[in-house]
Amino acid sequence: MFLKNYWYVAAIDHEVGRTPLRRIICNEPVVLYRLEDGTPVGLEDRCAHRHLPLSMGKLQGDILQCLYHGLCFDKTGACVKVPGQDTVPPSARVKAYPIVERYHWLWIWMGDPALADPAAITDFHWLDDPAWGAATRYLHAKANWQLIVDNLLDLTHLAFVHTSTIGNAALVNAKVKVERSPNDVKVTRWTIDAPAPPTFVKAGGFTSNVDRWQIIHFTPPSFVRLDVGATPTGTGAPEGRRVGGISMRNLNAMTPETETTTHYFYGQAHDFDVKNAETTAMIMNQITTAFLEDQAIFEAQQKNMLLTPNAPQIDINADNGVIQARRILERLAQEEVTGRLTAAAE
Amino acid sequence: MTNGGDWKRVAARGDITPGEVFATELDGEPIALTELDGQIYAFNDTCTHEFALLSQGFLEGEEIECPLHQARFDVRTGVCLMGPASQDIDTYEVKVEGSDVLVKRK
Repeated sequence: MFLKNYWYVAAIDHEVGRTPLRRIICNEPVVLYRLEDGTPVGLEDRCAHRHLPLSMGKLQGDILQCLYHGLCFDKTGACVKVPGQDTVPPSARVKAYPIVERYHWLWIWMGDPALADPAAITDFHWLDDPAWGAATRYLHAKANWQLIVDNLLDLTHLAFVHTSTIGNAALVNAKVKVERSPNDVKVTRWTIDAPAPPTFVKAGGFTSNVDRWQIIHFTPPSFVRLDVGATPTGTGAPEGRRVGGISMRNLNAMTPETETTTHYFYGQAHDFDVKNAETTAMIMNQITTAFLEDQAIFEAQQKNMLLTPNAPQIDINADNGVIQARRILERLAQEEVTGRLTAAAE
Repeated sequence: MTNGGDWKRVAARGDITPGEVFATELDGEPIALTELDGQIYAFNDTCTHEFALLSQGFLEGEEIECPLHQARFDVRTGVCLMGPASQDIDTYEVKVEGSDVLVKRK
């Protein structure tokens, strides 16, 4: 299941340049490149003629030329030249996707272009806000995107999967509150007066127990933004006074590639030592260590799920946030289907 | 259980506020309390379907929705309003003495 009328992250800004980049998004082949003035472009990566990926071709100025028979396409997807003939068939065009560059990411609109409003792009400003140090990376995951959303919405797994970095046993008994609105789920977890996990000791230099928060925001279709941090215990963080500790944002955008594979863009921002590239790199490496552990988990889940697609699962109390998010996604998917049927009927 | 039980203190009056669910125990069994229209109601906190804690679910008016499978119960009467659960939940008598909230099995 893919929701189409949304902005998704297609690439990190530096991934896209004058060499065409192929990326399958929601089962559609897309080629990404930049015009000579730096403007990013996204076209259907399938020549209108014999379906070779245009990404195998090359840029000549602002024109993308197919490797196979030399057909030339402009940034709107229109074929502007067919070598060896004077006319261009009017239907010779490929789909052009709305693309916006924001927060060091290139965003793509996979649905009806008439609905593509850049104001609807989910806020990830921490990635390019001077008040924060931040970095972003890309992982290719052989798992359905919803398995990754699930993973981020239930952080009890940190106590079992990530004991060398961001997890420890104290998390299992965190006090959890789940709040929901029609298109949003917020899961708040507090671990009070507990040892700091290894990454927090490295980043925050804690020598005694901390009050730790993990506030998870899910926004459809596939964005999970976490406000995480810790302060020395008893200094008032649960009441809103965050002093003497560290705050971070863990920022996740899962872009479906296919039903069983995902482009996973993640970032980490920190509000301390913001200009120190070594701090940023150290934190990013810790998070990457944890996320590679997650990747092994959801890829193994996906393999089992492919063996027996509809085997029953049970739910546990920790699934509350996951279940609320899935209900929102099911409703939105239904609304997109209904919307298409209504549009078709008109 | 015959003829109810004894009154037991389960919460301070200040623990219980409208729109929020306070989770506690009665003789080791999870129960929950909430305030609705000035009255305090106490009910069993375990969903009769798959044993999820209702206090972790969603209170909407007088209805509480189970966090896992969306069964609904009336917190005043314990009546199951929507599946997948089919059994009602127990409710308890409530009284306030000074700053203490006491409950008793019916």
